[in-house]
Amino acid sequence: MRRFVASGLLAALLLAGTGCAAVKPWERDVLARPDMAWEPDALEAKRSAHVHYSKEAALPGGGAGGGGCGCN
Amino acid sequence: MSNASRRARRKARVRTARRRAQRRRKQGALAALTSGALALPGLAGSAAAEGLTDQISSEYGFSRYSEGSIPASKVAPGSERGRYDIDMHQVRLAAPLGERFALGLDVVHESMSGATPWYVIPGDDGEPVQVMTGATVEDKRTDVLLEGKYFMDRSLASLSGGVSFEKDYLAINGGLGGQLDFNEKNTTLSGGLGVSIDKIDPTDSAEFPLRPNHEKKQSYSAYAGISQVVRRNIAVQSTLTYALGDGFLSDPYKQALVVGEPLADSRPDLRHQIAWLSRYRHHFSSLNGTFHANYQFYWDDWNITAHTLEVAWYQSLFESIRLIPSFRYYTQGQADFYANYYTQVRSDGLYSSDYRLSPYGALSWRLRAEARFRTWQLDWVGSFSWERYLSSGSYALQSVSAPNPGLVSFDVFSVGLTTRF
Repeated sequence: MRRFVASGLLAALLLAGTGCAAVKPWERDVLARPDMAWEPDALEAKRSAHVHYSKEAALPGGGAGGGGCGCN
Repeated sequence: MSNASRRARRKARVRTARRRAQRRRKQGALAALTSGALALPGLAGSAAAEGLTDQISSEYGFSRYSEGSIPASKVAPGSERGRYDIDMHQVRLAAPLGERFALGLDVVHESMSGATPWYVIPGDDGEPVQVMTGATVEDKRTDVLLEGKYFMDRSLASLSGGVSFEKDYLAINGGLGGQLDFNEKNTTLSGGLGVSIDKIDPTDSAEFPLRPNHEKKQSYSAYAGISQVVRRNIAVQSTLTYALGDGFLSDPYKQALVVGEPLADSRPDLRHQIAWLSRYRHHFSSLNGTFHANYQFYWDDWNITAHTLEVAWYQSLFESIRLIPSFRYYTQGQADFYANYYTQVRSDGLYSSDYRLSPYGALSWRLRAEARFRTWQLDWVGSFSWERYLSSGSYALQSVSAPNPGLVSFDVFSVGLTTRF
């Protein structure tokens, strides 16, 4: 559980400790780039999550839902 | 030049920059809709916040997944050494319906064949060796997911439903999610719920008496996340996901050797899981490239903790080509009831020698190439990628004295084609 708390603090620091600047709507051109997306290629992200989830114990994070499978 | 002229020229530059930014937002929002994972309601999408577009997009991908043969020193005498191969076809369609609604359809079809790990026995030298399934497994799986998204001025709601079926497995799933932007869309809160009801009917139950039949399980999940724009070129996101598995959670095709006798794989009928994923995106204009970093911490009440670290670099070249090398490191501990094989009976009756519950680490790297082109009056993106994955007890963060002999290595070759019209 200590590692879990440490991870949570790291995430919170990541978000809060970076000195966020308010970016105006007309300054968001870089943020709108496809390579700035959380998952630039959805098919690859879904395939990769499915493959790794079938072969590892960990749950793929970042969302909920999706169907199960008898993956072996 | 007078002050009035300077002010007028400054205002004109700001107007030009705003119009340019609006054009780029439209293109980015299209990419956000089409790349915003329909399989992950409400979360994936552009760091600029997801928006509705007026284009239909279609994507197709084909992948060949090939596992490496198990080394002769790790397999029981007379067992198959070849492992699993999977061919996967993926299709995604996304289209706007009206001014605020979008619909997406995901279809996956897999053909699977090969031998898989069955149980582990002590070898002649005392080291554990893998017994593989004797008969070649052949199966097909089809997964269909439909998702609707409703866009409001500063928020988004999504609803999804799907079904996954194969010869011995049926899963019906549903999910709903939402997203709320504030702080001039620099901050986004997201959340959602998911459920899956699964029915398991293992094949050849009559031939293999230890193999169960007509089992069920339910999976429930929930997530909450926050995304924050840090700078014009930096964004971060953190998401917490909780999942509960309830019902038949064992592997019906696996066994464990208990005091010299193979018994059915037997796991608890309840599993609590937590995954905490954090993502970082940073664009470097001077290099025309973007850096991605993802870190996930995982924990479950079977005593498994895992860490995943992924880094990638998106390099744009010649306006129409992108190269994306990436690297992934994964490490996990073992389930508290796991063992390669058992020299005494457990009081709780729980047994599993599945390598996926064993302690190990994995390294993988991927190289992806994308090319954009225009033909038949349509914009296209073609892609190719190759991933190599290696797992071993020696890659784990902790010391592993007897790694599972069935740890897997594999290659995935993928090609894809996307168009918008």
